[in-house]
Amino acid sequence: MATAEAKVPAHPTLADANRDITRPIAMPEKRFYLVLGVAAAGLALMFGAWFYQIGAGIGVAGITHPVFWGVYITTFVFWVGIAHSGTLISAILYLFRSGWRTTINRTAEAMTIFAVMTAGLFPLIHLGRVWYFYYLMPYPSQRQIWPDFRSPLVMDVFAVSTYLTISALFWYTGLIPDFAILRDRAKGWMYKIYGAFSLGWQGTVSEWRHYRRIYLYMAGIATPLVLSVHSVVSWDFALSIVPGWHSTIFAPYFVAGAIFSGVALVITIMIPLRWAFGLEAYITENHFENMAKLVLLTSLIVGFSYATEFFVAYYSADPIEIESFRWRALEAYALPFWVMVFCNVVVPQALWFKKMRTTLPALFALTIFVNIGMWYERFVIIVTSLAHEYEPGGWGLYTPSWVEMSILIGSFCWFFFWFLLFSRSLPVISIAEVKEHLAHEHANGHGNEHGEDDE
Amino acid sequence: MSLLNGNGDGGCGCQDACSVGSQARPEAEPENANGTSRRRFLQVLGASGAGAATMAACGPPDFADKLIPRLVEEEGITPGVSDTYATVLPDAGPEPVTVHAQVRDGRVLGLSPNDRFGGGASGLSSLSHSTLQDLYDPDRVSQPIRRNPSQEEGAPPLQYANWDDATAALTDAVRVGGAVLLTGRVTGTAARFIAEWARLMGVEHMAWEPFGNGALAAGTGDVSGGAGVPRFDLSGADRIACFGADFLGTWLAPTQMSADFGSARDVEAHRHAKFTFVGPRLSLTGANADEWIQAHGGSEGAVALAVAGVVAAARGVALPAGVPVVAPESVADAAGVSAEQIRALGDELAAAESPVAIPPGLESQGADARQAQAAVAALNEVLGAVGRSVFPGGGAPEGTTAGFADMQALIGRMRGGQVRSLIVAGCNPAYALPASAGFVEALAGVSNTIAITPHFDETATASGWVLPCHHALESWCDAELADGAMALGQPLMHPVFDTRQREDLLLDVANAVGQGAAFGAADYATLLRNAWTERLGSDDAWLDALRLGGASAAAWAGAGGDDAGAGDDGQAAGGGAGLDDYAPSASPSGTQLVVYPTAQFYDGRGANRSWMQEQPDAITKAVWNSWVEMHPDMADELGVERGDLVRVTSEAGEIEAPVYVYRGIRPDTVAIPLGQGHTEYGRHARGRGVNPLDLLAPTADPGSGALAYAGTAVTVTPTGERGRLVITQGSTDDQDREIVHAMNVEDAFHEIEAHDIDLVELVEAAWDSDPNSPYRWGMVIDLNSCTGCGACVTSCYSENNIPTVGEDQAALRREMSWMRIHRFEEETEDGDFQTVQQPMLCQHCGDAPCEPVCPVYATYHSPEGLNVQVYNRCVGTRYCANNCPYKVRRFNWFNYDAPGRGDDQAFPWPLNLQLNPDITVREVGVMEKCTMCVHRINKAKIDAKEEGRTVADGEVTTACQSSCPSNAITFGNLKDPESEVSRKAKSARGYHALGELGVRPAITYLEDVTHRHMPAGGHGEAGGDEEAH
Repeated sequence: MATAEAKVPAHPTLADANRDITRPIAMPEKRFYLVLGVAAAGLALMFGAWFYQIGAGIGVAGITHPVFWGVYITTFVFWVGIAHSGTLISAILYLFRSGWRTTINRTAEAMTIFAVMTAGLFPLIHLGRVWYFYYLMPYPSQRQIWPDFRSPLVMDVFAVSTYLTISALFWYTGLIPDFAILRDRAKGWMYKIYGAFSLGWQGTVSEWRHYRRIYLYMAGIATPLVLSVHSVVSWDFALSIVPGWHSTIFAPYFVAGAIFSGVALVITIMIPLRWAFGLEAYITENHFENMAKLVLLTSLIVGFSYATEFFVAYYSADPIEIESFRWRALEAYALPFWVMVFCNVVVPQALWFKKMRTTLPALFALTIFVNIGMWYERFVIIVTSLAHEYEPGGWGLYTPSWVEMSILIGSFCWFFFWFLLFSRSLPVISIAEVKEHLAHEHANGHGNEHGEDDE
Repeated sequence: MSLLNGNGDGGCGCQDACSVGSQARPEAEPENANGTSRRRFLQVLGASGAGAATMAACGPPDFADKLIPRLVEEEGITPGVSDTYATVLPDAGPEPVTVHAQVRDGRVLGLSPNDRFGGGASGLSSLSHSTLQDLYDPDRVSQPIRRNPSQEEGAPPLQYANWDDATAALTDAVRVGGAVLLTGRVTGTAARFIAEWARLMGVEHMAWEPFGNGALAAGTGDVSGGAGVPRFDLSGADRIACFGADFLGTWLAPTQMSADFGSARDVEAHRHAKFTFVGPRLSLTGANADEWIQAHGGSEGAVALAVAGVVAAARGVALPAGVPVVAPESVADAAGVSAEQIRALGDELAAAESPVAIPPGLESQGADARQAQAAVAALNEVLGAVGRSVFPGGGAPEGTTAGFADMQALIGRMRGGQVRSLIVAGCNPAYALPASAGFVEALAGVSNTIAITPHFDETATASGWVLPCHHALESWCDAELADGAMALGQPLMHPVFDTRQREDLLLDVANAVGQGAAFGAADYATLLRNAWTERLGSDDAWLDALRLGGASAAAWAGAGGDDAGAGDDGQAAGGGAGLDDYAPSASPSGTQLVVYPTAQFYDGRGANRSWMQEQPDAITKAVWNSWVEMHPDMADELGVERGDLVRVTSEAGEIEAPVYVYRGIRPDTVAIPLGQGHTEYGRHARGRGVNPLDLLAPTADPGSGALAYAGTAVTVTPTGERGRLVITQGSTDDQDREIVHAMNVEDAFHEIEAHDIDLVELVEAAWDSDPNSPYRWGMVIDLNSCTGCGACVTSCYSENNIPTVGEDQAALRREMSWMRIHRFEEETEDGDFQTVQQPMLCQHCGDAPCEPVCPVYATYHSPEGLNVQVYNRCVGTRYCANNCPYKVRRFNWFNYDAPGRGDDQAFPWPLNLQLNPDITVREVGVMEKCTMCVHRINKAKIDAKEEGRTVADGEVTTACQSSCPSNAITFGNLKDPESEVSRKAKSARGYHALGELGVRPAITYLEDVTHRHMPAGGHGEAGGDEEAH
């Protein structure tokens, strides 16, 4: 990282931290608008395709009998999975007092919120009659009909919306001191906006005391959600009777997969972000190595889950279950299946090597594989199970249409659109926490975690 | 709606049960009425609800402005309640079909069988049912059309004309002389009238049916005597051998024979006639057989003759006079079967008490068709079946006067300029004759060609004038049925378009040339009425006949003596069997072609009905196209698989169609269905599929003049391209899941004997319906009775406003059919397979997987045990369909009736007039599925409530049940121990599909029963009775 060292000091001071981390907010560049423009074009594609679908009918998507769910639900689960990294890194690692989370938690939390926002579109996109989406809400209706709380889809509505609410509040709580820093550096109308969001933060001792308590409580509330939200999403499948879905391992399997994909995407995003914003001093290889270890661990859990599914199918001696899994691995959708296995199980084994964990371009490429593999995982679970279930006369295949692919691509653009706006309006690293950390470091004379880096 | 009537006794005066009672239409026949006033009445009837004035103007009527309730109700008409009228469809298919038609607000909404006189027996085939779509066909000719006499550049080739000019043109064509009137089958009064008219006008009349039974009538007559086609009654048979005819699907009298077949194999009554099928391909009929003797197409008659010899020897009886004894060995090779098979079949038939043989049908009709028919007749003679199961001359009269040979002669005369005018009224020779016969080219030699037809078909397109005539449901008509009964038909609604009755047009011509007085009636309605009144002796008898839909054989024959009706080209009693030199024609070298009629299209007349295009074929389950069936061995040899395009070439022509690989066909034979490949005829038919008639040489059987459909040699070459073949069934292998079962007949008898359970107790213990409700609706489907004909499917489309989706959507598997008939191939012990056809529809599970996953309660369990779908509540998450193990939920991916869908639009005007007002037309994004005809249940419940009772057994029939020719479907209340459905569901053969899932379906399937030996464990005990119910 030779270029990086020219820009920022190896051991930044508190003032450096203020300057370095808020620098991107002050000076949007041409390349930023270029990337934002690409994302906006993708957004236009997505909403164009969606409005076309609403006007013409859901049939412009490729989903059909018997594969009633396809790319939309696949992508929904994918984004919900992505959303796990933020809260995991922020809340759980906070509770475990893992100091290395400090410089990545803000970005990861932002990703969580934008990923949930992205995921939340898909249940709407996939509805046959989206104009009646509010039937899924428990609103007071003259007909006195409420949603059916036995339905996993209703559980989903609550799980995802709760998760979005708590994640947003947690994120915002962490942002309050930083809003104050931004307020202090801003002028004019920006001053007013940042000032309003900082809730009049003065940095007094009693404020800090209350702040630390509420942050801790928020972390405590958010932590179980990491486990619950993807468990509930997995029940969309596990509570059905579809062979290939109806499985008790789904909740832990999905949570592990979610962390796997979420952390992978954090790496995927942080590597270019760190380079673009010149934050090498704050986000170090040590951070990436720790995250890579998490990826490796969850990859092993996911791989074990794949094996368990097949073993349980075999051990159940249920010919229908056995046929479902045989078909999944060997027939019409063998390619997606083996892509999934390769990307999620084989490729991450490279992370056993420290060299791999710390060589950022290679790590970047590897996480791209994981992202692809995890999308395919959901595709394989959803599509291959539906295509080949109980009644052989009803078997059939599914091919996504251009509308679905447009919306899939557009969903990434939607995500990055919000992320780009975030990266230029809010500090991508928690300044307050970094300064706290730096203060410790200065006091202890470069100890602890950062020691490894320096060698 | 009946509650709004305010007329106490009017409310129940129009129910189905009463509708055949005379009080149903008190003013239908005023004291001094003539036909015209009745017609006027029907016009008023049409005007009252449907806005006849706008309808006649051929535009979509604007109903919204016209919904004004009457101040004074028409007596006998209750808004919202259908009246049922009896009528007949004389040209619906292979036989005239007597039906009850439901008429509401001036339009015909539905058809159901009228079994009083035997026409159609207890069922209504898909083809007959779909004539409703013919009535409302948007492509019907709406007014007379003429070829534009102007030869100017850019002038439109066709132009609309008025009826005066059209009638004048018809009159001129008759006046100039040398005219030929070519009709389809005509019997009864129409036959006599047309014969008389033709005589007076000096016009030559030919009645020709492409799938006529001339060879059958002639060949049977040669041996057994009797004029006309025979009637077969299989109900008492204990051993059945079929030598090729598709008698359950398309041959002779399929609905009646399906019922008889079911009765001969009623395993619960401890009888099950073993059924052997001899032929090159397992058709719908062959798929129901217990044994298949794979004879070459066209050699079945020779096999039958050899079998007859074996039977005669075994029984020690003589063959009929003139029938030679043929050794099995001498035919075995040419027929491609072994002599042992022939001998075994003969021995089994000889040993049976009441065996019967069924002759070859159209697909086996070769150049020796008459001899082949005579051979089977001889077999029936030695089997003693004649007079017991076979009644020579007892079938519905053929009603034709011309065979293919006569048509060839006509074509020759047309070419030679000897025919100055050709009036085609009721057939479509330009399509239904092989192209090699040269009919279309010969039209050039005819100066006037006039088509009197409802459809703009190939013949109409080639004609100078097209005079649109009424549909059968808009017409006065009658038709002769089997055994001398007579069916009578009446117009049921104001004509949809500006059309005329065919016979009235002829009368107009007679009047124009000054001969009208000879008929003694101003119009055909009067003429028909006079004829019937005269025949039956009184006006009351005529009214009864009108009410009941015809007259029994006794009533008809009683007064009128021995007038057997026109159109019978009967033979003198037997004696000249003409079989001395009969041997199987050497099968053509190379690949043999079988062309066969399908239950959907028959001779092509079903091709423009979207119901029929979207009706999966009984064997291939393909829709909207043609295909080439071939054996897996041949497919391997050619290196093709399902859907690959192959070129089939004969001496007469070549066609290209996609392959369907099928184990039920000889490895040296390919089969192509008839009825597709239209060049005209409407939006759905035009340019769809191929017409295998293009491959046939114009060869006639010298004995009967029938076209030789069999015996064509073809070469099949892969094109290397993929074709489009839309198949609606995933796999034909049920993987030994608990979906279909076939059990050996001996096991079935044994198990039925030992079986008794208290089903009601089980049903009540399951709490699948509210314990306070007296009902738990359920159904029994007997796979042993089910032939796979698909009549139920069409009935369901008609009753429940199910949209057709078109080929593109069907290719995505998005067809909306609430019922699917799956064909599974069950492996037998000897490595062969037994076909089992299974109707799959919503099982109305007691513990339904679809219900708890719906987030909005759009699907829920009714207190009566039904699984109910609320369209208004559905948001379209489709989770219910994912979680349905039977995959019977269908989703509206689009508004299938949106005008923007072009030719795929489901109900373009006037097809929307057929929509059932009791049923919602579903919009995009909602799920739908079988409701067990909940609207019929509710109607019965309201009626019962008014009378302070519960719904009686048999009061509710579902649409599928009412059309099933073989009574495979029984519906009723499972909580009633005496109900038919309860009694049937208790059978030892009963099982629940995928019973191991424990979803407690309301539908109990009864296992198929076969004489084949099924592998152990393939049926039965699995699941156990307690669990199964």
